[in-house]
Amino acid sequence: MDYIAQGFIRSIELLLIGDPETYSAIFMTLRVSSLSIVASLVIGIPLGFLLGYFEFPGKRQVRAVVDTLLALPTVVVGLFVYAFISRRGPFGELGILFTIPGIAVAQTILITPIVISLTATAIESLDRRLQATLVTLGARGKQILLTSLMEARYAVLVAAVTAYGRAISEVGISMMIGGNIKWHTRTITTAIALETGKGDFAVGMALGIVLLTLALVVNSSLTLLKKRS
Amino acid sequence: MPPLYQVTNLKYRYGEHFQLDVPELTIEQGASIGFAGSNGSGKTTLLRLLAFIEPPEEGEIRFEGEVMTGNGGGPKRDVTMLLQEPYLLKRSVFENVAFGLRIRDDRKDFRKRVCGAMELVGLSPKEFARRRWHELSGGEAQRIALASRLVLRPKVLILDEPTASVDQQSARLIKEAIIECRRQFGMSLIIASHDRVWLNSATDTVKRMHEGRIVGTGAENVLAGPWNSAENGLYIKELPGGQVLFVTKPPRADAAGVVNPSDIVISVTQPDGISTRNILRGIVTHMAMERDSGDILVEVDTGDISLLSRLTPSAVQALHLVPGKEVWALFKASAVDWY
Repeated sequence: MDYIAQGFIRSIELLLIGDPETYSAIFMTLRVSSLSIVASLVIGIPLGFLLGYFEFPGKRQVRAVVDTLLALPTVVVGLFVYAFISRRGPFGELGILFTIPGIAVAQTILITPIVISLTATAIESLDRRLQATLVTLGARGKQILLTSLMEARYAVLVAAVTAYGRAISEVGISMMIGGNIKWHTRTITTAIALETGKGDFAVGMALGIVLLTLALVVNSSLTLLKKRS
Repeated sequence: MPPLYQVTNLKYRYGEHFQLDVPELTIEQGASIGFAGSNGSGKTTLLRLLAFIEPPEEGEIRFEGEVMTGNGGGPKRDVTMLLQEPYLLKRSVFENVAFGLRIRDDRKDFRKRVCGAMELVGLSPKEFARRRWHELSGGEAQRIALASRLVLRPKVLILDEPTASVDQQSARLIKEAIIECRRQFGMSLIIASHDRVWLNSATDTVKRMHEGRIVGTGAENVLAGPWNSAENGLYIKELPGGQVLFVTKPPRADAAGVVNPSDIVISVTQPDGISTRNILRGIVTHMAMERDSGDILVEVDTGDISLLSRLTPSAVQALHLVPGKEVWALFKASAVDWY
């Protein structure tokens, strides 16, 4: 049991002295997850709004597909994106395999269905009186759509935070697409997997503490936002 | 100048049974009109159609002479409606009241007008402007929703059951605000309410609605069937509480009868040895002065139905009528008109 306690003490030391390797993984994680969350929000919020707001033929089928994609296994996304962006793949010329943009593309594919589905649910859950209220106050077309989205803003933020939580905690994509290259594509989760394999619990624990702290911040934000929405 | 509204052969189905059917209705510019009736009588549906929230299924609505039926005309910004259960946007009270002006990009005296509208409904801007939408009582929320319409100075203000979920003070403030706005800006008022006494005190004319039709003008009492044959050619309806209504022969067993409030007499002692067949015991619930006549409308709740009686102020004084007093409402079986 001693090695666990020693590992924990050493992990605190690594965080306090600003160990470059540890902090490189932390910043890499924040960089890649920020890229993927921005891309997924840009794509996911408009699509989720359309899916939740409008009635169209095949809506239920589209919704079923999006909801199914919520449970996408990270390794499956990793596998397909790898196939597409490896040298032999159709997008091989882009040269983004084993890069941060490559991981971000795959993470975007992973988390965009979360943003679409939860945004659609948020829009569908809007009070039925909203539309009539906006019409009676003189709102038209685009004004009604934008105000409806504003009314769902807390629930849409819940979608964003949930998606962000999934992005920072996934390991399969970062490992397969990033390649776990030190200083370049090593993220918190891939570093934990590697260091644990090597028997270096201290670095693994230090990164684990950071990941847990991030998860705590994400979950606290979720609780707060759900309360407001 | 053409009338504000001209409604012809208006029909709207709601579910399998309910149908709004208004063959003709004219509302003049600057009018203040009330629609009274029980739940499900078609008031809200009619108001939503007049507010152009929904198009009619059949018939035509002309607004200032312009046909607004079908796809030809969209909702008019001159018409605004306060829903029965108002919805406040998830933002501050100030921003709620200011919303309509913002989307019109109407910035002239912006702050002054928003604060003025809040003061009009009896809410201090200093105290309420920064409050969030969820930090208000039901009555305050209703008044903020009203202020957000009044600030627009609409040509037509439509209110659906504005006093249904508010206390007496809020009901009074709402009435004062709309009457003051009408005086200042000359807007037309269309109000639906089941509170006939409040409605009569807030509007110039009241139309009664029953089962999707306009059945009379004024504060008439509507007596719904079904009617069963009884002795002496009279028909009766036994009320759930045990009291009995007597009427003359109705055109149909399920016809609705109308009794003018002036035909309903109030007694503070139980009448005995009189020819009047309808003697209903009840409690005075509301009293209000009728704006046109100066008479007092007294509402008597019999437990099963409520009846409005029109009395002179001196009669009210002589009988010492106050809300809560036990009285008997009397009217002849022949006082019932059929439609």
